Amino acid sequence: MTALYLYAITDRPEAPVPAEPGLESASLLNIPHQDIAAVVSPLSTTEVLPAEDNLWRHEAVVEALMADRAVLPVRFGAVLASESAVLAVLATHDANFVASLDRVRDRVELGLRVLWDDNQRPATNNAQRSSSSSGRSYLLARLEEERQVRTWRQRAEALATEFHTPLTQLAAESTRQVLATPRLLLTAAYLVERDRMAAFQREVEALSAAYPALRFLCTGPWPPYSFVTATVVKADREERKDAYV
Amino acid sequence: MSELVAKEKEVTLLDLLDRILNKGVILWGDVTISVADVDLIYLGLKVLLASVETAERMRSPAAAQCSTVNEQGETF
Repeated sequence: MTALYLYAITDRPEAPVPAEPGLESASLLNIPHQDIAAVVSPLSTTEVLPAEDNLWRHEAVVEALMADRAVLPVRFGAVLASESAVLAVLATHDANFVASLDRVRDRVELGLRVLWDDNQRPATNNAQRSSSSSGRSYLLARLEEERQVRTWRQRAEALATEFHTPLTQLAAESTRQVLATPRLLLTAAYLVERDRMAAFQREVEALSAAYPALRFLCTGPWPPYSFVTATVVKADREERKDAYV
Repeated sequence: MSELVAKEKEVTLLDLLDRILNKGVILWGDVTISVADVDLIYLGLKVLLASVETAERMRSPAAAQCSTVNEQGETF
């Protein structure tokens, strides 16, 4: 019995699999269930290392599928025991998968990072406790530092909102994070209709010109990884409680 | 495709890793017989992804020569 490596859940179960080779250069297989399918390939081992060539191979398969069907990309490294195990997953989560596929059909993910100048960040940890200063003055200095950081963060939020908002208007869904690090003003992902991709890119270029002090890094189109993460398939036993810290 | 997006696609390994190791449909527990132990690697990469230096490096052609990440999260 060979194990099966899983790449994605798709619609159009009747569509032939792409010629794209999978991991171990194996051919892809479609495992259909009503209106959806799981795309897998046979694996001679039960463990898959996240080495670079495996990662790119996995991504190439998902992108090939994306060309002609709606796709829920599966996180790297999922290995199932058999076809019946795959069918059990599809049957159990059919409604969930169909709803997610409806949300991403004909849409792509575009990623954006916006960098700003780090010396806008207020210096912190300058309030030093020394024997000569009183505890009170130390605390006051710390409070002032925190007030400055709060103001800085609010400024970042306001600025990020200025250009995130026009982009959300071109997207069906979006995610965003402000100040993941001091220089990363915005980290965002946008779920955009395929035929709106050009308009989205033009808007990013226009924003880049309108904010010359900021650097805009746009990547894509990606399969909609950031918009299907909520779909998590668990077993009855909570074996991986420690997985997410 | 516009120049802005095409240029950045050259250096997308870290953007790929951010997605493929941490997002998408996640299966765990009895349904899988193994799951690549990506969580620790991802935690290490999270720092890398967020760093400005990485974003700076991303713009250079040299960054397009990708390194490999092993199970301990080390790059070489």
